[in-house]
Amino acid sequence: MRRRNFLKISSGALASALTGASSYLLWQPRAHAETISKTFYITHGYITQPDGVNVYFRGFSNSSNSLNVPGDALIVQQGDTVRITVINTLGTDHRFTVQGHGVSTTVRAGEQRTISFTAGNPGTYFYYDSSNAPYNRLVGLHGGLAVMPRFSSNRVYDGSPTFKYQKFWLFHDIDPVWHARIRDRRTPSTRYSPRYFTLNGLSGRPPGAPGAMDPAVDSMVDPRSALHGHIGDRTLMRVMNAGLCQQSVHCHGNHVEWLTDNGKILPDIWSKDCVYLEGNMGRCDLIYPFDYPPDAYPRVSRGAYPMHLHTEMSQTAGGGLYMFGAITDIYFE
Amino acid sequence: MGWRRRSSDSDSSSSTTTSSSDSTTSTSTSSMDGGGMDGGGMGGGMGGACYVYPAAPATPGRVTPNVSYNLGIDMNIPLTMDDGRTVTMWGFADNGGNMMGMGGGGGGMGGGTFPSPAMRVRQGQIVHTNLSVNMMMMHTVHHHGIEPAPHSDGVGHITWDVANGTYTYQWRPSSAGTYFYHCHTNTVLHAEMGMYGALIVDPPEGPGRLYSNGPRYDVEAFWVVDEVDSSWHTLGWTAGTCGGDVGLNELNPDYFVITGVDGSGNSAMNLPPISATVQRGQRLLARYICAGYHPQRIRFGGLTGTVHVSDGRVLPRPIQVTQLRACSGERYDIIFEPTSRGTYLIETDIIHWVTGEVLGTTRTTVTVV
Ligand SMILES: [Cu+2]
Ligand SMILES: [Cu+2]
Repeated sequence: MRRRNFLKISSGALASALTGASSYLLWQPRAHAETISKTFYITHGYITQPDGVNVYFRGFSNSSNSLNVPGDALIVQQGDTVRITVINTLGTDHRFTVQGHGVSTTVRAGEQRTISFTAGNPGTYFYYDSSNAPYNRLVGLHGGLAVMPRFSSNRVYDGSPTFKYQKFWLFHDIDPVWHARIRDRRTPSTRYSPRYFTLNGLSGRPPGAPGAMDPAVDSMVDPRSALHGHIGDRTLMRVMNAGLCQQSVHCHGNHVEWLTDNGKILPDIWSKDCVYLEGNMGRCDLIYPFDYPPDAYPRVSRGAYPMHLHTEMSQTAGGGLYMFGAITDIYFE
Repeated sequence: MGWRRRSSDSDSSSSTTTSSSDSTTSTSTSSMDGGGMDGGGMGGGMGGACYVYPAAPATPGRVTPNVSYNLGIDMNIPLTMDDGRTVTMWGFADNGGNMMGMGGGGGGMGGGTFPSPAMRVRQGQIVHTNLSVNMMMMHTVHHHGIEPAPHSDGVGHITWDVANGTYTYQWRPSSAGTYFYHCHTNTVLHAEMGMYGALIVDPPEGPGRLYSNGPRYDVEAFWVVDEVDSSWHTLGWTAGTCGGDVGLNELNPDYFVITGVDGSGNSAMNLPPISATVQRGQRLLARYICAGYHPQRIRFGGLTGTVHVSDGRVLPRPIQVTQLRACSGERYDIIFEPTSRGTYLIETDIIHWVTGEVLGTTRTTVTVV
């Protein structure tokens, strides 16, 4: 009856996808600061959207012949030295900026730069191209950085509620006309009209759709996005919005604990089923508690629920295709 | 129980002034078999639907409820705006479309209102929402903010879209506060078309208290603010599901409604239970639901309110506000204790999700005597 029951059969495949794609999930706290190194290649290319349209993107990629949008999520610890090398393979100048850290460097066409900085206050930050704003960010040059408190594997900030797992939920909205214009090194001149909506670079594929259940295609099962937990497996979502649309993050099954808003620690933690996510790099940190769904009768401890943006235009692709937008699933196991 | 005036309401004043005798515990018929067969639903029929999951199975773990709601479907609800134009809305209808048991049309046409009929239950009650849909289309009920078992959550791609029969959603609300319910099939369209209604969970002691042992109130107002893009309102229920650009990424509203009436002019200015009249010393509870998709900002016209509950959860510490921002699906329960006579204008701006431009504003009033 539950449409995604068969996921369990493929859990071995998912596990390997996890370790391959998401080294940050292996985060362990350390007693001493370390130097964390990462190389990004600025690359470009086309990404096929759910309606078959190929849209131009640039990304902070893992190799010169890949295109990663968003760039890999990074998790470091407060006090770590973070060494980022950016290799610009393109014919356009770009900039690498780390939000909240006073770090920004221009990387000219065909050149490379290495910058080092000390990871600052615990929290969730964008790294992104701040030049030609907001266009270079919108065309795909963005990613997430988490700074963990010292010695902590389970807190967002010192004294915060604890979590067991953490995810980045990086949302984006895409106007292909703007992307083509940026490709052509011109400034977009049309009214912004987003047609695709992504979570960690992917969109939903409902059961029966081409690519459904493929973690490389379907945001509903992408292990970077989908939540899996037993009762009590509290999961932190570092929610970020690279796009221009203001959103409403809506979880089914449990209310979320709302810890931070745009980098600010909230004075009280509210339990919410919809959380306001601002456009233009809005952020929030949420914990999905994986409690028993409180209004079930009889009680249940297993099953699937969606997380979707309640700004429902974001659940479409190309002007239709409901459920092919920014959505993932939450699995009580 | 009503949250807007409907012809079937026996007591339209009960919604503005609550009393403990406003019982919500009556049990009505709990199940009906089969949906109507003669259809007539607008919008293309099933041939044009993709990525829908039709079913109407038996409800796992079904028990005898304390409260039941029997909902049908109405795809042709005229809503007349202040400019005289009529826009077609969709919605749920009381009593399975008013025609259940008569063998025709139930779950298809007739009897609906915009917004859909309010549900009002008490914390801890076992509730059945019996949704009847005919064979020509599919819909669900998602009780937004209520967190039941997946099979009672009304999300098509997780479970099923109700078609050609009656499905019973079984749930037991754990937390008092303001919720709403809406269709979750082709949601972007169906919820915009008006397929939603208020859902109030009272504490066990009943209306008059916001939550158990929480603040009391004397008068209640319902501010359910939504936007309408009339260009969407000629689409069929399957629109866009198989692909093709039907414009569902662009919501360009031309009407702004509050609790079922055009709110941009004077229609809601003196229309309880949207507007409210309170005596000094009384407490007004405003149940505000951001039912549209674009963000909103509600301004209280000089009144200061206290938010005690949001999204059906008590805040650790209440907050005092003169205005609030809200995103789609959020609810705020705000108590006002006005001390100065006067008429206060309650305005809600609907704000474009990209540009931040104010697209329209709904207006109603709180009068303090
Ligand atoms: Cu529907
Ligand atoms: Cu909802």
